[in-house]
Amino acid sequence: MFDLPEIPYLLTLLVVLPLIGAIITLFMGNERAKYAKYTAATMSGITLILTFFLLLAKNLSVYSENYAWIESAGLKMSYILQIDGLSILMVFLTALLVFLVTIFSSHQEDKPNYFFALLLAMEVGLMGVYMSADYFLFYIMWEVTLIPMYFMISWFGGPRRHYAAIKFFIYTHVASLVMLIGIFAIAIQAAAGGVVDFSFAAVAIGASAFSSTFQIFVFGLLFFGFAVKMPIVPFHTWLPDAHTEAPTAGSVLLAAVMLKMGSYGIIRVCLEVLPDGAVWWQPAMVVIAIVAILYGAYACIAQKDLKKMVAFSSISHMGMVLLGIACLSEVGVEFAIFLMFAHGLITAVLFMTCGLAHDLFETREIPLLGGLAGKVPIYAAFMMFGFMASLGLPGLVGFWGEFGIIFAFYEYSFSINMIWLIIFCLMSLMLTAGYYLWAMQRSLFGKLTDKIETAHLRDINKSEAFALVIVCGLIALFGLWPDLALGYISDYTSSLVTLGVVI
Amino acid sequence: MFIEYTWLIPVIPLLCFLIVGFLGNKTPQGGGYIAITGAAIATVLAVLVSCEFWTSAAYSDVGYVTQQITWFTLPGGFTLHFGYYIDSLACLTMLFASFIAMLIFVYSLGYMHDEGVRKRRYFGEVSLFLTGMLGLAVSSNFLEMFIFWEIMGLCSYLLIGFWSFNHPDGDAASENAASAAKKAFLVTRLGDVCLMAGLFVLLFAFKTLDYADMFTEEALAAVDPNMIILGSLLIFGGVIGKSAQFPLLDWLPDAMAGPTTVSALIHAATMVKAGVYLTARCFPLFTQCSWILLWVAIIGGVTAFFAATMALNNMNIKKVLAYSTLSQLGYMFLALGAGGYMIALGLEQGNEALIVAGSAGYTAGLLHMVNHAFFKALLFLGSGSVIHSCGTEDMRKMGGLGKKMKITSITMLIGSLSISGFPFFAGFWSKDLIIESVMHASDFGEQTLFLILWFLAIVTAFMTAFYMFRMWFMTFQGVEGVNAHHTHGESPKSMVVPLCILSIFAAGLGFVILFGFDNLISIGENAAGNLQVGSGEGKGFEYITEIFGNVYTWMTIVLVLMAMGIAYLMYSKKTMNPGKFNKNGESRLYHALTMRWWFPQLYDQIAWKLGYGVARGVDFVDKNIIDGTVNGISNAVIGGGEILSKAQTGNVRSYTTVVFGGVVVFFCVILGIFWYMGGL
Repeated sequence: MFDLPEIPYLLTLLVVLPLIGAIITLFMGNERAKYAKYTAATMSGITLILTFFLLLAKNLSVYSENYAWIESAGLKMSYILQIDGLSILMVFLTALLVFLVTIFSSHQEDKPNYFFALLLAMEVGLMGVYMSADYFLFYIMWEVTLIPMYFMISWFGGPRRHYAAIKFFIYTHVASLVMLIGIFAIAIQAAAGGVVDFSFAAVAIGASAFSSTFQIFVFGLLFFGFAVKMPIVPFHTWLPDAHTEAPTAGSVLLAAVMLKMGSYGIIRVCLEVLPDGAVWWQPAMVVIAIVAILYGAYACIAQKDLKKMVAFSSISHMGMVLLGIACLSEVGVEFAIFLMFAHGLITAVLFMTCGLAHDLFETREIPLLGGLAGKVPIYAAFMMFGFMASLGLPGLVGFWGEFGIIFAFYEYSFSINMIWLIIFCLMSLMLTAGYYLWAMQRSLFGKLTDKIETAHLRDINKSEAFALVIVCGLIALFGLWPDLALGYISDYTSSLVTLGVVI
Repeated sequence: MFIEYTWLIPVIPLLCFLIVGFLGNKTPQGGGYIAITGAAIATVLAVLVSCEFWTSAAYSDVGYVTQQITWFTLPGGFTLHFGYYIDSLACLTMLFASFIAMLIFVYSLGYMHDEGVRKRRYFGEVSLFLTGMLGLAVSSNFLEMFIFWEIMGLCSYLLIGFWSFNHPDGDAASENAASAAKKAFLVTRLGDVCLMAGLFVLLFAFKTLDYADMFTEEALAAVDPNMIILGSLLIFGGVIGKSAQFPLLDWLPDAMAGPTTVSALIHAATMVKAGVYLTARCFPLFTQCSWILLWVAIIGGVTAFFAATMALNNMNIKKVLAYSTLSQLGYMFLALGAGGYMIALGLEQGNEALIVAGSAGYTAGLLHMVNHAFFKALLFLGSGSVIHSCGTEDMRKMGGLGKKMKITSITMLIGSLSISGFPFFAGFWSKDLIIESVMHASDFGEQTLFLILWFLAIVTAFMTAFYMFRMWFMTFQGVEGVNAHHTHGESPKSMVVPLCILSIFAAGLGFVILFGFDNLISIGENAAGNLQVGSGEGKGFEYITEIFGNVYTWMTIVLVLMAMGIAYLMYSKKTMNPGKFNKNGESRLYHALTMRWWFPQLYDQIAWKLGYGVARGVDFVDKNIIDGTVNGISNAVIGGGEILSKAQTGNVRSYTTVVFGGVVVFFCVILGIFWYMGGL
């Protein structure tokens, strides 16, 4: 397409720029605090522009950085950043959403310097997770994402923020501990008595010698670590609490990018390194995924808080992602990755609009709302767009993810002679449509509510509309032209086929 | 020459949607003129494309023209395309859809005149609706078709719920519209999910979803027949939802909550016709197995009958029309099913004569689809004119409007005659052919079943004539009702002119079959030996002898005249008291009809129990068992419930200490492991 020059140290820049931004913003206290948003927007904006160099690059493999970090007698940890078809969309999503969320929250009044510094700090961790090609670096970055999110919730959250923040922290922390054990296990086993090298490449070489029993056991450990992050039923209860209490910006990043760390990890580590383990765990994964899909969808129907409903819908959709992965087929993994990306865009709209409900109406309780479409038409239009995208309306991005995954699952269920399994997936499509339409009916349509003060409601302001328009535009663009994203993904998934990981 | 530009047909209304959506309020009539222009261009293009196609060599050779670009590929050799597929069915569908939509848009200028800024939303959404229907008509494969299919679902949701907030008649009407819109979307979604499953089955079996590649003898023979049957049934599930057939028929009467023009659009030009289109489109698949078509016929016949019963005692002018749509759609499926049954048997036995006989049923079904589009658009727009004028939908408050609204009353009379099947009006020809083909099918097996269906069909014809004339007499004849006193009189020109144009078609369209038009919509084997629309043989003038030489035709005509007479005596002359038959509304049958055979309750119960009931259970489990366990474990581990309870009360310092303590200890553990491993 376009001939963009190669930028040296591009991947490092993607991590370092937000870090510099975070540090600068952090020290913009007192009267300079009102300029914090400009710093944050600039730094995240530059980061976003840089990701376009990646997206339009002809060959992603030229962007690879490899430096030894800690090297001693028995251990080798390196600073390796790499990018491929799996990570590039996640990197783009991170850069995009951090930038948009910064714009979206430009009216942040309370301690804006801390607020924006935390957003940028989160970007550092997320970029690191998605680009690192060394297990130890991966783990460190994984932990780095936790801390800013913890403070985001506990400083800027709702009334039960302390409870939600600590629950989020402890829960995911315990999970990462288990994951860490798994990482040590594969690194040490791969070294086979030699120097324990944590780099992806070294482990991949050693992984061919892993015994099945070892794979099955370690797959379980790692899967647990990642499943909590995704989150998968029954390890999900931290999520609705964290979402309800987190500020809008935090919720958007949490749902759109952070949850994907879990599914990213499952594909990157569990599938790539432990294919035999994956095969052994396949039936279990399928069952867990189906339970998560239906459980999340049903829980949505019962929710009264808009944001909590959307949080449960994330659980349902991430269950769909897991189902795609669990098919262990090229189609399944390809569309699971596509749905990760699609869901990132869609939940951004959902959490922006549902988070705004609190700013506009001072409540998110559905029973207190009603008939608001006449009062705040633009807000209502965005919310409806988000809901429609999320329920999988064809022509929008979410449909393709679900279409591909259910197709892959159909192939799988056909191969094991249990076509009827597909009914559960189809049921979830009905339920999803049900809870979204019901929520819209009760909050936007019907009689104008008299339970809240509606005389002086404001509609969406310009900076909020800007962020929403861009995400909605991308949802439509990738919905009409899914190949834009599938092009990157299929390169990666075909490499998985070559590895013999999926069929 | 024009065929290459077929893709513009759905794209132009789409552009109108975008223009109206973004700039509507800056243009006159809230974008109304833009929407009309778009529909008009689409109509002209459709006419040009159809004329070129029907005179081309491609039509006489293979029966279709298709062109595609690759959209994306799925691993495993599945390529999905985007493009157009033009055959007689596509031409027919886009012709009537675009033309009728154009007339409805013109009519809307008058009908929606008082809507103010909301006109932008209205004209934007109806343009998108038209995009959906036209796109569906010219789609080249099932997936593309499905996308437009769902766009129509979305538009029906938006338009049925057009007044779901700030309803001119108050809050209760808003609530009603919001609930009707949701019901329409969810019930059709149930069908759509079936359809989607059907697509998976077919895609996996055929490795493609392109019509041109699937509907060939070789492709069909190469696929496991069970997969074709499963796929066909699932697709027909989608049709049942979209075309509101038994048992998913209940959303359509509720959908009357939208503006009357939207009802006209949904019932005549778009939406419910999509189901008929899809069934006709899938004939090469459905005819692989005769009992699928048997089910199509059964569902059609049962719907025709049930829906007609519910129209008998309804007092709402729009709801009567809604039930009549269901009933007429049932006729179409009955015809397609009966005709298809014969074709399927013919293909099975290699009997050419049977295929020709079945083709008559197919032609009748499609002809009824077009005829119905015209007379139903006419009737809805006419009822809209009445409602616009006297401000109520209750027929008891109308009455005697004939003198005040001459044109509306005459055009409505033409529509009623047409739908009732009065001789020589459009509806007569198609309805008679339908009834005849059901009779014909009974000669070839399943005799009892087809005779029952035939009986249902003529009883339905009787009921149709009765409730249509009941409606017409109650509205336009007799004593002036409460609201008839202070009407505005006849509606404005923008509303009356479309009525007149439509009534010409509703009266005379049936004659086209006598002049070779039936050739175009017959079905038969093309040169390559594949089942193809437009490749069959037409009968032309033979129809006259066939129809009038048949004793059953005369029987039907007599029944229709009787029904009209009874309606006249009951509701115009009032010498016959309807209360005698229903015990003044006390009879159980009357009650059942008023309760719509308890369908709404059934739906609500299912939705409530399967949806909300389970949801409450899940929510309970989530809050108490799963989350309770998590909190319990954490309390037990971290310190007897103090931490989380402190966190809940907001004791900031203590939990921050805990978190940082946790991090420090954690990293110490890691360092310890490293040390143990001999790393540091």
